[in-house]
Amino acid sequence: MLPQVAMTDEELVARTVAGDSDSFNQLIKRWERPIYALAYRTIGRDEDARDVCQETFLRAFRALPGFKGQAKFSSWLYRITLNLCRDWIRRQRRTPIVSAPEGVDVVELASEQGPVESIEDLVARKQLSRTVGEAMRFLPEEQRTAIILKEYHGLTFQEIADLQGCPLSTVKTRLYQGLSVLRRRLEAEGRTGVRTTEKAS
Amino acid sequence: MTETFTCDDKEQLVAYLYDEVDGITRRRIEEHLRLCDACSAELDGLGGVRRELATWTPPEAALGFRITAAEEPAAVETVARPSRWPHIPAWAQAAAAVLVVAAGLSIANLQIRYGADGLVVTTGWMGTPSADPGASATAAAKTETPDWRPALAALEQSLRQEIHDVHPAAASTPAPASARGGDVSLQRVTDLIEQSERRQKQELALRLVQFGRDLEVQRRTDLVRINQGFGQFEGRAGAEIARQRQMIDYIMRVSAQPPPQ
Repeated sequence: MLPQVAMTDEELVARTVAGDSDSFNQLIKRWERPIYALAYRTIGRDEDARDVCQETFLRAFRALPGFKGQAKFSSWLYRITLNLCRDWIRRQRRTPIVSAPEGVDVVELASEQGPVESIEDLVARKQLSRTVGEAMRFLPEEQRTAIILKEYHGLTFQEIADLQGCPLSTVKTRLYQGLSVLRRRLEAEGRTGVRTTEKAS
Repeated sequence: MTETFTCDDKEQLVAYLYDEVDGITRRRIEEHLRLCDACSAELDGLGGVRRELATWTPPEAALGFRITAAEEPAAVETVARPSRWPHIPAWAQAAAAVLVVAAGLSIANLQIRYGADGLVVTTGWMGTPSADPGASATAAAKTETPDWRPALAALEQSLRQEIHDVHPAAASTPAPASARGGDVSLQRVTDLIEQSERRQKQELALRLVQFGRDLEVQRRTDLVRINQGFGQFEGRAGAEIARQRQMIDYIMRVSAQPPPQ
């Protein structure tokens, strides 16, 4: 446990603005995992997600004096991250690259490769757990982002609407459409989890 | 709010799914769900998707970013992390890569000659270079091994100058410790070499994986071909046996029959 009561984000922001950069490092420590997770789920590549995460904190640090607390610090970080992710996605569309499958460490793979299991089997096994992630990739960016913010970051509809710059009803529609597409896709892939009949309530 | 919930009100259904509805709406929806199998099934399906989504976790990435603000008034900050390639111009990275390759070649005593006897590649210290003119360059390279240090220092100097131009404050950090400049630059080159090695290792591993996969595919193809070959052989042998059997049967039949009177 911490020797003293943990400071709020806003307190740490104030201390950083006053010149204490260690306070910002505490903010980084607190938020780097969620920010990395947001970037990873949005763009789907580990290395690039780390770059986005690093860039998010750099930009936040530089722009901190202009942060007036009009939104939560976390929402502000999310906004920077999503903007960077959008830039990344646009860049990728312009210059698509062919690379090793993401999430598969080739070094590890080479050492793991036994005489029995073929490389294809190994890759397939590694990718099995990422079926949901793969299905998410096919969603339009707005739907995917709405689902990520709701499912993994617990934002309210209103917070998502503020981040996405759209009406509340649009957020709900995006969530519904995105989840429906995912449902069809996962059912088509034989994921039985989406067919359960237990009541949501 | 409407008095009753209708099947096409998907926004409310999603709000119910995420438990962001007021009490009255919740009761209306639940009332509807008791009567409407379609909506009930849809809600179950969406709930199932949410359970699937919960299984999607990002990899355990090594993060540990830190902001270290410089004392300069410009407040240039750096983020300390095991980065792939920090903010170094592309040409500087390329130059460093060439340097690394050159150093590697001189260390490994790699010789590549192209002469009358074709392309010859030798590595290691075992064989002495032959006396033909083509080998003189490699021999010179061998004797010049200690001379790469000034060249490296010069290149390092130009790299540092360029980095200094791009990020004046970043370069100014080690400036006070000019006596230790050599150590710092050596450290940086070592870092670059390490990063390069890591990348090369990855590439090598990727190649190995590809090679292994190709080999496996080839092996399987060969096995299938061999099986097919065996199959054909067996088929042909079987057909031959059957024909011979027929022939024998025929001869037996013919020989058993009494000659026509």
